[in-house]
Amino acid sequence: MKKNYYLMSDGMLKRRENTVYFVNKDGKKPIPINKIYSIYAYGSLTFSSQAIHLLAKEGIPVHFFNYYGYYDGSFYPREKLLSGDLIINQAQHYLDHEKRIFIAKKFVEGAAKNMEKVLKYYSLENKIRSILPDLDGCNIITEVMNVEGRIRADYYQKMNEILPENFNFDKRVKRPPENMINALISFGNSMVYSTALSEIYNTQLNPTISYLHEPSERRFSLALDLSEIFKPILVDRLIFYLVNKRMLSEDDFEKDLNYCLLNDKGRKIFIKEYDERLKKTIKHRELNRKVSYKRLIRLESYKLIKHLLGSKEYKPFVMWW
Amino acid sequence: MYVIIVYDIKVERVNKVKGFLRKHLYWIQNSVFEGEVTKSELEEIKTGLLDIINKNEDSVIIYRFRTDDAFTRKVLGVEKAPIDGIL
Repeated sequence: MKKNYYLMSDGMLKRRENTVYFVNKDGKKPIPINKIYSIYAYGSLTFSSQAIHLLAKEGIPVHFFNYYGYYDGSFYPREKLLSGDLIINQAQHYLDHEKRIFIAKKFVEGAAKNMEKVLKYYSLENKIRSILPDLDGCNIITEVMNVEGRIRADYYQKMNEILPENFNFDKRVKRPPENMINALISFGNSMVYSTALSEIYNTQLNPTISYLHEPSERRFSLALDLSEIFKPILVDRLIFYLVNKRMLSEDDFEKDLNYCLLNDKGRKIFIKEYDERLKKTIKHRELNRKVSYKRLIRLESYKLIKHLLGSKEYKPFVMWW
Repeated sequence: MYVIIVYDIKVERVNKVKGFLRKHLYWIQNSVFEGEVTKSELEEIKTGLLDIINKNEDSVIIYRFRTDDAFTRKVLGVEKAPIDGIL
């Protein structure tokens, strides 16, 4: 149905005939306004205010990434779905320490269980199951973060066994990533983050009030919370797929003294496959119908809303296959 | 569902029809649009078109398919406007 558009080349977004045109060196390309779900801008994009008016009217968020593929920010159109009631509940769950830590733990639990599933697919022994119970004893957020950190350390170490030797890495390094896998993880995570933000935009949730991450980070931190659960499902599995099938090689990276990044060609391959994954459907157990991965993120937001309003306790999404 | 819309419109209205359809569907070649739509969107398109065209002079044909798997598409010669999400 509605699609994500990824603007990889430099160009201009214009409004004409009540729809948007993407103009670049190859010419003008009209994009049907009713077919745009969100726009991801990787190249340098010029943007007329007329275009912004139209995108705002249609409620289409635009996510910007800088030259290195890092998430810069979003054009987040005026909220159409508002609920004062929910915002109050959202804030209340943040302020009440017990309630906040409950949700924070759920996010970590969901992420950990999904990581475990990913490793299980490659039948790798892991310590996640034994670390996870430590979560029960946590009373403050930093302790929860600590448990998450330990799980991740174990997880990333195991990833080496799935990947070919030239792709191995010692530890997760960000800003800038040092090696190819770190580059892929960083790039993928920023994509999931913006996908989650697009989904949150389509619900009444306020994206700035979060539970696991501190809301004071000047970011839409609720999207960070939600993406935790989906990173292993969407990004990590994609990385194994691309690397092990040799769809990505060392030529698709740009290496310098202290950093490593995907180049244009690599980015295109990654984004294409990522988008395919978002569209892929699974048969949902509870709903008993087919649901795309993108939709799963939305359903997760709905579950959170139900929890915040007190109608059903939140249970994180865990892959069941 | 997936629709293909072809039209033959008098010159004075043809650009209006093209502009209108661009909001909803992909331009494929002269006088042809196609794309995935919902039932309600198709109704919107139909009423929109009826507002623009002159029923005595213009002709619009809408082909409907259950999904885009229901037919095969083969282009001979130049693909004038490929539908692509990565630009």
